[in-house]
Amino acid sequence: MILLEPNSYVLEETLLARFNSEKHEVVDITLVDFDNVIYHVQTQAEQRNLLTLGVEMKYFNEVVQYGANDILQREYGPYLSASASGQYQITLQFDLDALPEDKAGLAKHVSLLKRNILASPFVRAFEYWESQQEGAGPLMATHYREDEAIYVQAHQDRVTVIFSTLFREEVDRVLGKVFLQEFVDARRQASIQNAPQVFYSSREAPLEIRHLPGLKQDESVGYVSFVLFPRHFADADAREQTISQIQLFRDYLHYHIKCAKAYMHSRMRTRVSSFLKVINRAKPDRTTAASEKRTATGRYFRPQFRQASASPQQGGEGEW
Amino acid sequence: SNTLRPYLNAVRSTLTAAMCLDNFASQIVEKHNVPEIEAGNTKEVLLNPLVVSRNENEQVLIESSINSVRVSIKIKQADDIERILAHKFTRFLMMRAESFVILRRVPIKGYDISFLITNFHTEQMYKHKLVDFIIEFMEEVDKEISEMKLSLNARARIVAETYLSQFV
Repeated sequence: MILLEPNSYVLEETLLARFNSEKHEVVDITLVDFDNVIYHVQTQAEQRNLLTLGVEMKYFNEVVQYGANDILQREYGPYLSASASGQYQITLQFDLDALPEDKAGLAKHVSLLKRNILASPFVRAFEYWESQQEGAGPLMATHYREDEAIYVQAHQDRVTVIFSTLFREEVDRVLGKVFLQEFVDARRQASIQNAPQVFYSSREAPLEIRHLPGLKQDESVGYVSFVLFPRHFADADAREQTISQIQLFRDYLHYHIKCAKAYMHSRMRTRVSSFLKVINRAKPDRTTAASEKRTATGRYFRPQFRQASASPQQGGEGEW
Repeated sequence: SNTLRPYLNAVRSTLTAAMCLDNFASQIVEKHNVPEIEAGNTKEVLLNPLVVSRNENEQVLIESSINSVRVSIKIKQADDIERILAHKFTRFLMMRAESFVILRRVPIKGYDISFLITNFHTEQMYKHKLVDFIIEFMEEVDKEISEMKLSLNARARIVAETYLSQFV
């Protein structure tokens, strides 16, 4: 499973189980998704047919300015409800007795909630390009993780997406550099010549965002820029596919860095056990019969090599 | 390359000569028996240390005494990624020093990994097999590090290709 899926599989399964169950149980489940998004599925004891889904997404207020509320209304309109507590930025409510026919489809649609919300700056950038206005569009920043952000900007003939990503450990930094260098070089391959162009810089921010305040520019930060060409977002299908995939880039990269570390770890384990085998060959093996030779009177021989466990001696010393 | 065999042969013959170990009770504290190369206070039982070097990045330091030998190896580390791999690998081994018996938990300064072989070890294990183990270790570590680096590069290429081919 090399690619990450844009929907939250665990949310989809949980909702489907609730939708399909005959009796309405009382539930209170907390689930997590990538990028610090928390889902809370619960039912009140008094009204068992109402299933509430609370979504905690700390960067929601930022994406609201890029039109997230319109998307929310359009996709999940009938289920939206006012937030009960301040903790959840979005609350959906489902009446388990009045669900549409296609329950699996609904569950899948809801599990794409995070993807749809985070799509708002991208959608806005593509609309700007479609409107064919002169010059570059506004620079939209989304701080979807602590210390990490996505910057989207539309131009007349392309859309630039810049990721700032943090590598907390030295090992991650070096591995990240290897991976990102491959991303930059991948276009040499004939089959993916039309893929977006990737640029990478390990400390300095790219020119487009250098003017922004509060940018981290030290050893641990890397900036990756994608240049999306019109063929990636001109028609609707390509647009949806592009949005789903580009959002997950940072998680995809870190997931594979961790896989690489795990693989190296298991390789080292095998190598260590083979070394152990070699060194155990250095120990001469002794059968118990050979190591405890006795004479007729009951005296023991002491073997030539000193043994790890002492053999009982009854006065017999030295070798015979 | 063509310097590997002579290098390993030189290390092998030096080790075989250095591993003539005898029991030696401590002259400083009664009834104690310490590896003299580690204690270092009885000067007359320490022999001259020897460095066998293939080039300035690959060396073996062999320090010996009457009852113990310390072998320190410096592994070839050409770039960042090899440095990290070597560091991880040696750390992994040194944390399991107990099961390896002859491995030292901390390497000597300037080297990546160290072995300590005492007269008790040579009494319990075959001497020529111990030397074989150290030589094989030196070869295997270099091979392992270059294999891990290759697999890392291959993995990075596949990851990049799979991701970018979705956009086409």
